[in-house]
Amino acid sequence: MAPGGYFGQALLVDVTDGTSVTLPLPDEVLRAYLGGAGLGTWLLHRVGPPGVDPLGPGAPLAFVFSPLVGTPLTTSAKFAVVAKSPLTGMLTDALASSQFAIAGKLTGHDAIVITGRAAVPSVLLADADGVRLLDAADLAGLPAADADTVLRDRLGRGWRVAAIGPAGERGIRYATISHDGRHAGRGGLGAVMGAKNLKAIAVRAGSKVAVSDPPAVLAAARDLRERSFGPATAKYRELGTLANLLAFNAISALPTRNFAAATFAGAGRLSGETPAPEAAAGESGASGPAPANLGEMRRVARSSCASCTIGCEHIYRVGGGKKARVEYENVFALGPMCGVSDPDAVLAASARCDEFGIDTISAGGTIAWAMECAERGLIDAPWLRFGDPGALLRALEEIGEAATPLGSLLATGSRAAARTVGGDSATFAPHVKGLEMPGYEPRTLHAMALGLAVNARGADHNRSGAYEADLSGDLDRLDGGDAHAAAAVETEDRAAVMDSMILCKFLRGVFTDPFGEWAALLSAVTGWDVTGTELRETARRIVLAKRVYNIREGWQPADDWLPGRLLSEPLKLPSGREARLTPARLRAMIDAYYELRGLDGAGRPHKDSLANLLL
Amino acid sequence: MLAGGRSSRMGTPKAALEWHGSTLLRRTVGIAGRSAGGPVVVVRAIGQDLPPLPQGTIVVDDPREGKGPVQGIAAGLAALRGHAETAFITSTDLPFLHPAFIRRVLCELDGPDAPDVALPVARGYPQPLAAGYRVALAEIAERLVKEDRLRPAFLFEECAVNRLDDDALRADPVLAALDPELDSVLNVNTPDDYQAARQRPAPEVTVQLFGALVKSGRPGGPRPVRAATVRGAADAVNLPFDRHVTAALNGDQITRDGLTPLAAGDTVFFLSADAGG
Repeated sequence: MAPGGYFGQALLVDVTDGTSVTLPLPDEVLRAYLGGAGLGTWLLHRVGPPGVDPLGPGAPLAFVFSPLVGTPLTTSAKFAVVAKSPLTGMLTDALASSQFAIAGKLTGHDAIVITGRAAVPSVLLADADGVRLLDAADLAGLPAADADTVLRDRLGRGWRVAAIGPAGERGIRYATISHDGRHAGRGGLGAVMGAKNLKAIAVRAGSKVAVSDPPAVLAAARDLRERSFGPATAKYRELGTLANLLAFNAISALPTRNFAAATFAGAGRLSGETPAPEAAAGESGASGPAPANLGEMRRVARSSCASCTIGCEHIYRVGGGKKARVEYENVFALGPMCGVSDPDAVLAASARCDEFGIDTISAGGTIAWAMECAERGLIDAPWLRFGDPGALLRALEEIGEAATPLGSLLATGSRAAARTVGGDSATFAPHVKGLEMPGYEPRTLHAMALGLAVNARGADHNRSGAYEADLSGDLDRLDGGDAHAAAAVETEDRAAVMDSMILCKFLRGVFTDPFGEWAALLSAVTGWDVTGTELRETARRIVLAKRVYNIREGWQPADDWLPGRLLSEPLKLPSGREARLTPARLRAMIDAYYELRGLDGAGRPHKDSLANLLL
Repeated sequence: MLAGGRSSRMGTPKAALEWHGSTLLRRTVGIAGRSAGGPVVVVRAIGQDLPPLPQGTIVVDDPREGKGPVQGIAAGLAALRGHAETAFITSTDLPFLHPAFIRRVLCELDGPDAPDVALPVARGYPQPLAAGYRVALAEIAERLVKEDRLRPAFLFEECAVNRLDDDALRADPVLAALDPELDSVLNVNTPDDYQAARQRPAPEVTVQLFGALVKSGRPGGPRPVRAATVRGAADAVNLPFDRHVTAALNGDQITRDGLTPLAAGDTVFFLSADAGG
C-alpha cells in the first residue's frame, strides 16, 4: 500500500499508439524525491534515454503531482511539468497551478509521463477508464485558453485541460503549456508537447487518495490558512509580484535595455502602485501631475488558484475586451528590458504571449537582445529599436508566427540566435545555459548572480531564490563571497523541497523553521516520520540529481557562468558606489558553491555521492 | 574607530552614550561602515565592554593602556593590514560625522601622487581622529609608540601629509550641501557637550514606502522626516519595522537593523521584505 498522499505509480503513455503502462514507484523513491520537480527529475533519469532529442518521440514529457495535492493545505494545487528542454538541452521543470493538478493526480497516478508522437494532432485523455486519443485538428492554431474552453465544453463536467498555443504547435523553443491561464512557462515545454502532436491533455478525477493522519492534516491546514492571511503574504494579495517593479528600480536591481542599465525612468508608468512624481516623469524628465499608470488604468480583479488562500493573481484589462494576469516578470521582460514604458503596449504584449503560448521572460529577453543587435547593425531591422512599443509588438508577432526569417531566428531563443548572428552578439545575449534571464540584476545582487549561474534549469530566479539573501540585509549584495555561496545553497535547497512537496513559494515567509515545519506537514500526509534534517538531505539529493542529469546530457563547466556583459560592464548606484561583478569574483563564488555542494572543482559530483540518488 | 579612550571629562564611557535609541559607538561604526567600503575595526581598551555592534565589525584590543591615540592608530592600522590600503580613523565622540566627510577625506588618498595622511584642519583645529591614513603607516606608528613619542604630530613628521582646511573640504559639493558647517568634527567631551548635541534635532532624511507598505494613512512619499536611525525613520511614518520590512539606504545598502544610523540627506526606501517571486 502506498504511503498517504500517493498512489505509488506513474502512468507511462506512448501517444504513438495510445498505449499505456503503469510504472510502480517504490516507497523509497517517493520518500527520496517527494513529487513535483524532484520526482520528475527521477523520472527523467529513469525513462528518458541519454542524448535524446528533446523534440523527438523518445523524449519523455512528465506531468508530476505531489503528496500534498488534493489536501486542504493552502497553495497545494500545483503540478510540475518536467522534460529535457529544447531551449537549453538540459533538464527543465516548470510549475503550474490549479484544478489540473487535482484532477490529474486523481486519475490514480503520481505522474503521467508521455512519450512518442501521435499520428495526427491529438488530445490525450486520461481518467479512471484509462487513456485515449482524440483527434484535435479543429483545435489547431487556437490559443491554449480557447482550446481549454472548447475541450471542456466538448468533454463535459470534471475534465481539466493543459494545452499549448500555436507557439507550441510551431515548435517555438520557449513555448509554454497552460492551464486555466497559468503556465508551465520556462524552457520550452510547450514545444516538447507540440512535437508529440499533442494539442492538449485532459484529465478527469476518478480515484481517491487518503492521507495518513486526517485530523493532523486538517489542523495544519487551518493553521497554514490563518498564517497565509498575515503580513508575510500581504505583498502578493495587495499588488502581486508587480510590487517588485518600483522596489527593484529603487535599488538598481531592475534590468533595463538588455542589461545596459539597472534603473528605468519609465518604471512608474508600469507599476501597479501610484508612482512618485519623479518615477512617473519618464525619460523626458517632464514634471507635473503623474500620468496614469498601469495599475490605475487597468487593474480590474484579483484571483487565485484552486486551494489557495493568498490570491496573488491580479487581473488587468488589456483592451479589446481582453484581460490578462500580470506579474512582475512579464512586465519587466516586455517593459524595461526592451526599454518600453507604454503600459498599453506591455499589457498587449503580455496578452499576446499568452495567446501564442510563449514564455514572456524568454520572449522579452530575446527581443531585447535583437533590439540591441539591430541598433549595432548586426541584424538588419531598422524598425527594431529599444523603447518602441510598436517594435516590441511587431517582433512578438514575428516570433509567434515564426513565418519571417527574423521571427524564425528569434523563435530559437537568444543563445541559438546569437550563434547564427555572430559578431560579439553572444556577449550580450541575456541567458544562462540558453534560458533567458529574469528580472534580477546580477551586478547589484551577487548572491542571485551565483544562483543564476549554477542552477540546473538555467537563469532561474525561482529554482534559486538567492535574491532573498541579497535583500535580507545580512550580507552586502555588492560584495559576493563565501557567505553568498552559502546563502545560494540554502535558498536553492528550500526551493527544491517546496517545488517537490509542492507548496507555493509565496507562502515561504510564513515559516520560521521551514524544513522542520515542512517535515511535519509531510509526516501528517504520508505517515513517514520525516525530520527537517532528512528534508535537507532530500533537497541536496534533488539538486544533485538535476545536475547529474545535465552532465549526462552534455553540461560543461563553462555552462555555469553569466553573459560577458555582466562581468565587464559595471554599474553605478545613486549612492556613488560601483556595482561590479568581476569574473574572478564570480569564479570564487562558484568554487565556494561547488565545495558546499560536495562537487569537485569542475562542478561534477564525486562518485561516492551518487549512491543514494537511487537513479 | 578608537573606542578605548578614558572619557575622563565625560565621566562615563562615551562609546555607550545613548544616541537617539542607539549608542554613539553604534552610530559611528554604522556611518564609517557605509562610507569606506571595507571592514570597520573598533579598537578598545583591554577588558572594555562595548555596546552591541553590527555583524562583521572587527574588534581589537589596544595592547598598551594609556598610550593615547597613536597607539590606537597603530592597533587599528595593523588590524587592517591585508584588508585595505587606506583607512579613515575616528574617535567615537563625533555624533554628527557624515559619510560625505569621510569620503571627501579618503578621496584625498587616491591617485599616484597621493599623500600618506589626509588631515582635516576643520573649524580651526587639526583633526587627527577624523583623518585618512595609509594602512602601511602602521609600522611607523608602532615604532613611535615603542619610542614613547605619542603625539600624532610625530607621525605626521615622518610621512607625507595633505592638510585640508574648511575651504578644501567644502570644495566637495556633496559635503558642502550636506554638512556645510562641518559638524562632522564636532565632538562631545563633557556632559554639557553631550546634552547640547543630544538636543539638536535628528537629521532630515527622505522616506519613501513601496508596494504593500503604502496604506491609507501611511502614504508612500517621498517625504522628509527627522530621524537618526532606520527605526526612527520607520516610526516617523508610522511603519512597524518588523521582519516583513526591509530598508534600503540611498538605493544601496539593504538593512533590517533598525539601529542603522542615518545622516542628513539620506534617502530611506522601505520595501516589503518578501521580495521577489
